[in-house]
Amino acid sequence: MDIREIQGYASFFMTMFLVIMLYGYIIHLYRSEKKGERDYEKYGNIALDDNITSTPVEDKPASQRD
Amino acid sequence: MQSNAALEYDYSLAKKFTFLTILFGFLAMVVGTLIAAQLAFPELNYLLGEYGTFSRLRPIHTNTAVFGFTVSGIFATWFYLGQRVLKVSIAESKFLMVLGNIQFWLYFVGALAATISLLLGYSTSKEYAQYEWPFDIVVVLIWVLWGVNMMGLIGIRREKALYISVWYYLACFLGVAMLYLFNNMEIPTYFASGGLGDPIHSVSMYAGTNDALVQWWYGHNAVAFGFTVPIVGMIYYFLPKESGQAIYSYKLSLLSFWGLMFVYLWAGSHHLLWSTVPDWMQTMGSAFSIVLILPSWGSAINMLLTMKGEWNQLTDNPLIKFMVLASTFYMLSTIEGPIQAIRSVNAIAHFTDWIPGHVHDGVLGWVVFMIMAAIFHMSPRMFKREIYSKKLMETQFWLQTTAVVLYFTSMWIAGITQGMMWRAVDEYGNLMYSFIDTVTVLHPYYAIRALSGVMYLTGFIMFAYNIYKTMTSGRVLSEEPQFRTPMA
Amino acid sequence: MFHWLEKNPFFFASAISIVISFAGLIEIVPNFAQAGKPLIDMKPRTVLELAGKNVYMKDNCMSCHSQMIRPFKSETDRYGDYSLSGEYAYDRPFLWGSKRTGPDLHRIGNYRTTDWHEAHMLNPPQIVPGSIMPAYDHQFENVADIETAYAEAVTVKNVFHTPYGPEIKRGREAWDAYRPTLIEEARLIAADMKDERVKEAMAKGDVPEVVALIAYLNSLK
Repeated sequence: MDIREIQGYASFFMTMFLVIMLYGYIIHLYRSEKKGERDYEKYGNIALDDNITSTPVEDKPASQRD
Repeated sequence: MQSNAALEYDYSLAKKFTFLTILFGFLAMVVGTLIAAQLAFPELNYLLGEYGTFSRLRPIHTNTAVFGFTVSGIFATWFYLGQRVLKVSIAESKFLMVLGNIQFWLYFVGALAATISLLLGYSTSKEYAQYEWPFDIVVVLIWVLWGVNMMGLIGIRREKALYISVWYYLACFLGVAMLYLFNNMEIPTYFASGGLGDPIHSVSMYAGTNDALVQWWYGHNAVAFGFTVPIVGMIYYFLPKESGQAIYSYKLSLLSFWGLMFVYLWAGSHHLLWSTVPDWMQTMGSAFSIVLILPSWGSAINMLLTMKGEWNQLTDNPLIKFMVLASTFYMLSTIEGPIQAIRSVNAIAHFTDWIPGHVHDGVLGWVVFMIMAAIFHMSPRMFKREIYSKKLMETQFWLQTTAVVLYFTSMWIAGITQGMMWRAVDEYGNLMYSFIDTVTVLHPYYAIRALSGVMYLTGFIMFAYNIYKTMTSGRVLSEEPQFRTPMA
Repeated sequence: MFHWLEKNPFFFASAISIVISFAGLIEIVPNFAQAGKPLIDMKPRTVLELAGKNVYMKDNCMSCHSQMIRPFKSETDRYGDYSLSGEYAYDRPFLWGSKRTGPDLHRIGNYRTTDWHEAHMLNPPQIVPGSIMPAYDHQFENVADIETAYAEAVTVKNVFHTPYGPEIKRGREAWDAYRPTLIEEARLIAADMKDERVKEAMAKGDVPEVVALIAYLNSLK
């Protein structure tokens, strides 16, 4: 198997993998919203309500802060 | 860090980089206007002797625009919005503040020294990567400092979710780091030859066709990760914040992000169509350039739809005008690019003035407009003063918009004219024009372009003046504005 | 599955790196060995020509001139045979250019001579009426940095195995020994030139930039 062949296979499978991941991501986005697990659109508010005193959209627990 | 009532965002770094943005923006535009005028009026080449020719000045124009103006704009906006969307003040960490200041001074001194080196003729000749190896090391250092700072700020954040702008800034950091490192691999000849010759001179690790491939993989994606990715990150923060409207579809912004990351890198070889790089790479570059329309327009449409139902703001807030026009020019240049990447179109367009035309509707229309809008938005918050003059802003907007339109229309005509003349043959199949015929015919278009440069530069000076007056004599604000930027 | 990616900057950064490095790995890396082969019997540039190439880079000629003849009849009629990948095998960096404000130079050595270049560099519009190219008078004053060019030849010979002869080797002694060969080569070019400044510099044992540049341009065939 020469380098060109490996290149061809690598390219094909990697592209397939990334395409599947991208579509998987789209499905993930919409499904988790439908099931009510999370609301992606609320993240848009991070930019609007961004005073240092405002409540974070998703709070980072104090234990994780360093 | 509890119950700290005086906790505030620290804008000192954002301010410093804002000044540099304006300084380098002015420099890049002055040189750009001068070299545009030199093409129309060659006598202007002799203003500075050896150091004033078009050829010596052109890399100074491009590198100052990219590494001076745009990069300081990226730093300035990051040190502003990074804190805000992560809901943490950079002053909460002494370490990050010190790091930021080292980055600033190293950057300022490094950028000046690198510019002087170009003026003296030290150049590796690779476009947008002309700096010789000592300056490359400084660039890498600055970039690492910024990366550490960004990661540090993310580490101490209060907001757990990373806002989409942070995604774009992170991608900008990683992308530029990878591209810059690989494209600037070079060996200093002084050390490899036992101490002979100029210590600053180096030789590229790659040769010929390989060198060209690496260079345009870099050149195209320096545009991607310097002129597109961080600017999209900016508009995703500043447009919603200024208009008070959340992003139209947050999910679409996430999807176009990954789309852009994946597709952009493939398209570099469209700079080498019909050259000696293998055919399949050229085809790949063409095809992916067309695919690139999807994620680009995904972002652009998302920006424009953010204004849905609030289009009245476009008429009464000049800042919204700047940003909406920027996204419109983004759409224009991301459709123009793929068209030029089609093989048959490229056969005519390549090597002509249509290419600089394309670059400039992207940079002048999209990058510079967005960075100026960001600075207009940040100034009242950083200096706690109202914008000095709304009228001046309106005038600047129309002047510069006209300038960009003049620029790209004249270059479209110039480029296509020249491309067609190069290939024109008479009835016997002989070439119809000598090369010089195709140069003299361009004189009026070069003159129009020089004029548009003067207009754009004037607009930029108005911008700088407006910001200066805002800092020094704008009406003092008692509290930070929520959305719309106050202006007199 | 994607949850951790949106929240954890480390995983997120890794994901971006994988996605963006993919194209380079597939498109560029595997072709390196193949695209680097020189044409049969091709010789690398002489040290004088390298010095000329460095003048070409210093004055940034490629901002207006390409060195890439595309395979169209209109280009081969105007400039000569279309360019081949192997012809560039020793070019570090490549100097294809991206804009033709002036004509392509890849085969200029076939149809322009030393005295033409000399007159043209002093005053382009006089030779080509309507030309917008500036004069490069300073190349007649400045002395070419031939020592750096020699250092470059030594570097590419030792590091990249560019086939230079045994006379190209590390250290100052080797350079002192080689210098007369280079001056002799420059003298042959300067013999066809009229400018007094060039003659004076050559008499002193210096090589003006323009002489090196013309040597380089003449080698573009």
